[in-house]
Amino acid sequence: MSQIGPIFRALMRNKVGALLIALQVAVTMTIIVNAIHLINARGDLMGRSSGLDEANQFYVTSVGYANDFDAPYVIDTDLGGIRQLPSVDDAVQINAIPMSNGGWSMGLQTKAGEGENSVPTALYMTDEHGLNTLDVELIAGENFKATEISYRDRNTRDWPQSVILTEALAKSLFPDLSPTEIVGQTVYIQSNEPLTIIGIMDHLQAPWTGWTTVNHSMLVPNKFDSPYSRYLVRAKPGQREQAIEQVEQFMKQREVGRMVRETETMTQVRMDSYRGDSALQAILWTIIVVLCIITALGIVGLVSFSINRRRRQIGTRRALGAQKADIMSYFLTENVMITSVGVILGIAGSIALNMWLVSSFNLPRLSYIYLPIAMIAMWTIGLFAVWGPALRAAQISPAIATRNV
Amino acid sequence: MLVMNNITKVFRTETVETHALKQFSLTVNEGDFVAVTGPSGSGKTTFLNIAGLLESFDDGEYTLDGRSVKNLNDKQLSQLRNEKIGFIFQSFNLIPDLNLFDNVDVPLRYRKLSKAERKERIEHSLDVVGLANRMRHLPSQLSGGQQQRVAIARALAGNPLFLLADEPTGNLDSKMADSVMSLLEEINQSGTTIVMVTHDLSQAERAHRHIQVLDGQVTEQKRGAPELATVNA
Repeated sequence: MSQIGPIFRALMRNKVGALLIALQVAVTMTIIVNAIHLINARGDLMGRSSGLDEANQFYVTSVGYANDFDAPYVIDTDLGGIRQLPSVDDAVQINAIPMSNGGWSMGLQTKAGEGENSVPTALYMTDEHGLNTLDVELIAGENFKATEISYRDRNTRDWPQSVILTEALAKSLFPDLSPTEIVGQTVYIQSNEPLTIIGIMDHLQAPWTGWTTVNHSMLVPNKFDSPYSRYLVRAKPGQREQAIEQVEQFMKQREVGRMVRETETMTQVRMDSYRGDSALQAILWTIIVVLCIITALGIVGLVSFSINRRRRQIGTRRALGAQKADIMSYFLTENVMITSVGVILGIAGSIALNMWLVSSFNLPRLSYIYLPIAMIAMWTIGLFAVWGPALRAAQISPAIATRNV
Repeated sequence: MLVMNNITKVFRTETVETHALKQFSLTVNEGDFVAVTGPSGSGKTTFLNIAGLLESFDDGEYTLDGRSVKNLNDKQLSQLRNEKIGFIFQSFNLIPDLNLFDNVDVPLRYRKLSKAERKERIEHSLDVVGLANRMRHLPSQLSGGQQQRVAIARALAGNPLFLLADEPTGNLDSKMADSVMSLLEEINQSGTTIVMVTHDLSQAERAHRHIQVLDGQVTEQKRGAPELATVNA
């Protein structure tokens, strides 16, 4: 039975309570839409591929303390031994761990000289085992040769002649060339040092997850001559825990004047890297849930008050022939109408808040798919909240109509 | 049309048992105008509530338009109230947020009549009570007597089997009360059965029959039109 007309006219004559509920729905929807948008934006960020085989990788840190600590010897023999371990697929010394938020960055340019435009990139030093250990694929060109690998230390200024770039970085430098055509091109580091691109790899994230050019990475054929050394190890599929145990045991049993410290899986690195984002998501979800509860309770309170105020009116309706279902239907319809006003205001509020967030904090623009979802959510919350009071209203005896209080 | 045989109604609390109606019997025939009087607590309102299917009873038999109401469920009782009974309340019980048209429309909507038929009925019944020109007014814009006329129009709009009036002049001054009683008399003369509960003996005397209730039982009956009603108490 359609009761929309009389309900609408009755609401128009008694606007305050309805307007309060509508405003509450509007504010809740505005916040929820943008909160979910932020949660999903963070989720997208957190869900980006690093390019690694994270489930099977970990790194271990070695710190030399002996006066006669011979870093190149220890590094070469460590790697040689680690690569022989039965649960290890490959290993490499690396200067920075992807997603760890600590590493090296440089600028590359296509023309030599000061003042030329440069493109920022993360720099990873690896040997010829780098590609396999990182689990990145070459899409053009070739890997480093073992003979190309050299040691460098903090004072080394020269750069090796060959580099491997990620496709994103290569496209940024040479937007008009295909990966195959980019191989063999020269780029310049530190303004004038030429590097020849010998390979293009598919994808490897920089160490800084919040970096705008997070997909710009390059490999250089260097090892780092330092007492402080990090080995990235890739275990055979499903054997990471055994590999950690075997690598730590192998390194600790070697008496080369160093300590073995800090083994961390790439899974942990990812979790640590995105801990802030995860916390933000949790906070936003909490806000959403609390807001929904507050809105639902607000509706319950106002509807209960409204029903108590209209007990005789409800009894009269029952006396005049309204069935319990009619009374339920009346309050549910009334709520849907009020919520709909709130939802319309909420759509405007959601878009306005998003525009402000976009302009003020450079956040991504709102996807409009959230709006119908939020509308359905608001209607559901409204109906859920009004159901109990409406059910109680339906139980009001028609005999109340004849009571003269 | 309305037959009550040995109706018993007991209100129970943990400590008190109140017999509101005891072996109450009454028959109302078509076209009758019955006034029910009695002191406060005599059982008038309980009778009215049971007659109007607003309340259940504990024992006895109540037949409305040839149909026993004893075992009807809430939905069936609501339908029966809607189709057979027109209520007139002491406090008018108009819905303050709805105009006169929408107020009269309330019971008709529950009957799922077409919009056109509802409109015709509303306009006709408001015309009968002399308020057709004020159908867009709110109840608060009317006098008490006019509000009761709207309530009468609402009761009439559904073409009920009978009108059940609960102190219809109880909240009105004597002039307005007389006007409302005259209207009820006109309605009765046009063939509508009326059962009226009242405190006012002078109003009761205007009915065809005057039933007095005391301690939940009919104690006296006076006949204005004896061929139309029988009483068994």
